[in-house]
Amino acid sequence: MSTVGETPNVLHPLVEKYLRKERMPHMACPGCGIGQVVHAVLLAVDELGLTPKDTVWVQGVGCNSRITYSTWVGDNVDAHHGRMFAVATGLKMARPDMNFICFTGDGDCGAIGGNHFIHACRRNLDVTAILFNNGIYGMTGGQVAPTSPVGAVTTTTPYGNIEDPFDMCQMAVAAGASYVARWRSTDFKSLANSIKKGIQTKGLAFIEVLLQCPTNFGRYVLKTSNPQDVLKWIKDHSVSQKEAEKLSKEELAGKYLIGEFVYRPERTGIVARYQEFLKLHQKE
Amino acid sequence: MSSAVKPGKYFVQGDEAIAEGAIAAGCRFFAGYPITPCSETSETMARRLPEVGGICLQMEDELASIHAVGAASVGGLKAMTISSGPGISLKLEGLGWGIKNEIPYVVADVQRAGPSNGVATRVGQGDFYTIRYGSAGGNSSIIALSPKSTQEAFDLTIECFNLAEIFRCPVFLLTDETVGHTRELLLIPEESELKVVKRFKPTVPPEQFLMYPLDTPGVINYPFPNIGEGYGICVSPYTHNSKGYASTAQDMQEKMAKRLVLKVTENLDKLVRVEKQKMEDAEFAVVAYGGNARPAIAAVEMAREQGMKVGFFRPIIVWPFPDGEVLKVAEKVKNILVCELNIDGQLSREVARASKGKAEVYHLGSGGVEPHLPAQIFNETRRLYK
Repeated sequence: MSTVGETPNVLHPLVEKYLRKERMPHMACPGCGIGQVVHAVLLAVDELGLTPKDTVWVQGVGCNSRITYSTWVGDNVDAHHGRMFAVATGLKMARPDMNFICFTGDGDCGAIGGNHFIHACRRNLDVTAILFNNGIYGMTGGQVAPTSPVGAVTTTTPYGNIEDPFDMCQMAVAAGASYVARWRSTDFKSLANSIKKGIQTKGLAFIEVLLQCPTNFGRYVLKTSNPQDVLKWIKDHSVSQKEAEKLSKEELAGKYLIGEFVYRPERTGIVARYQEFLKLHQKE
Repeated sequence: MSSAVKPGKYFVQGDEAIAEGAIAAGCRFFAGYPITPCSETSETMARRLPEVGGICLQMEDELASIHAVGAASVGGLKAMTISSGPGISLKLEGLGWGIKNEIPYVVADVQRAGPSNGVATRVGQGDFYTIRYGSAGGNSSIIALSPKSTQEAFDLTIECFNLAEIFRCPVFLLTDETVGHTRELLLIPEESELKVVKRFKPTVPPEQFLMYPLDTPGVINYPFPNIGEGYGICVSPYTHNSKGYASTAQDMQEKMAKRLVLKVTENLDKLVRVEKQKMEDAEFAVVAYGGNARPAIAAVEMAREQGMKVGFFRPIIVWPFPDGEVLKVAEKVKNILVCELNIDGQLSREVARASKGKAEVYHLGSGGVEPHLPAQIFNETRRLYK
């Protein structure tokens, strides 16, 4: 047994293989869902045989970014708040041969970086972007997010949130991403397979994960510190697309759809288009 | 195989010369956002970069363009962006990321009359302090060169790229609408005659390499490994240790801040670039920079014709400010007249500071739109000349 603040004696084999041991233990709060998502990412990386030499982790700013930054044994590029997609654009265009696994949060992607997100989808940037959606600003202490449900009491909506949340997946579909899917942190197998599929997809793969934040979403919105209660809330507020077909409009209100929304690998991304474009115009 | 550099004589705008200078310096990534008076640079890059196998993107906004440029440099390409006025205000957000992570790239600022949108198509010189102190958080030093002509726009853009690699930092080309839109002769030399600094690469294996040399803060020509080179680099917005890991420790903040400042301040001798004319016997100095140097030089010639002992001084490097050179001028003359296209007094404030009271410093300001007329500067010189 290890105590808090000490490196645990036994590391998960995927951590041994792909993460920097000196960066463990990670910074996630007890019960946080980020570890589950990172586990799924590592499984996808392992099954596809990606290596630290050919794969870069890119982050924005938020819990997911702060926790994953500089843990990948290869290169780590963490952007300013909201600028993850802008940075990923420069990186991918400079190194189209490399894989970029990009982590973003609902504030990073849906609020301060919303414009970059939309345009990355429009360009169909060839990276795998994983949206960690906990429905609240975690790192800054429980403020309302553009993904917070109506009525949510947070530190900046003490009387309840009056604004409708964004559906980030529908935005990605409308803006042109090649592959768009949403899972819960508990849909482990589906999530890991989806990330694998995303990495193999040409163009932008956008994968949203609904994950539990007991520390802030639990505390302020649900008045609980128990991660199980938050997971139950996510379960009660989400439904597979197949089940959704049987439900009325009223029954679907306030529920997240789970599953794959679009898969259009035939839609070329900016990298392939630029390479074709260069064939026509390069003189040197 | 044709060369990226196209030697010859051209009749072009300063904005176009910036693009050609960048390509000659090895720039292969440009990201911009349309803005007057520098869209001509973006347009030239859009035409020329694909020809040389480079990447030119028009991004969704100014923020995206500077972040993409910083990232492309981390990816291994020499990179540049450009803007003016309100676009520069936005770019400052991304500048901090470049400064903190010691990323080499170039930002050109073609100044126009401000504040806010001001007069988009006409000249101003209001960004002198903006580029130096605009990036929040302090603890930075900025390098900025300022051309007065189309030829210098080309030459100094190459130098900006070289200094960016030598000092591992974003470097500014601080120019203005006068230079950007003046169409005049540009001589592009043979590629072999150009001095181009390549990115320094580590000579030690990854386990021995430190991404950020915090214990030797004054070191320059320090390697910058890019992604995919096996060095496992860590780039972030956070205060970092020498590996790039985020730190909240006071000593680490102190070390990082010192590195970011001292790498420039300990190498000032390598950065001095000034122009002097008729200073040998001068008793009065006219000081100006950028496009406004041109009427100032004309005014000095008018004064000389009248028998007045007037000389001209111009900082070609505006940041770090050439304090020592200005002090030499102040020790030589009685009065210094600083002519610049802002009313608040920016260059004149630095000249007064660097003069240490050795000479009287006067400010001849203008809100911009038009550069100063030689006669305006001459009249003010005659009034103050004793």
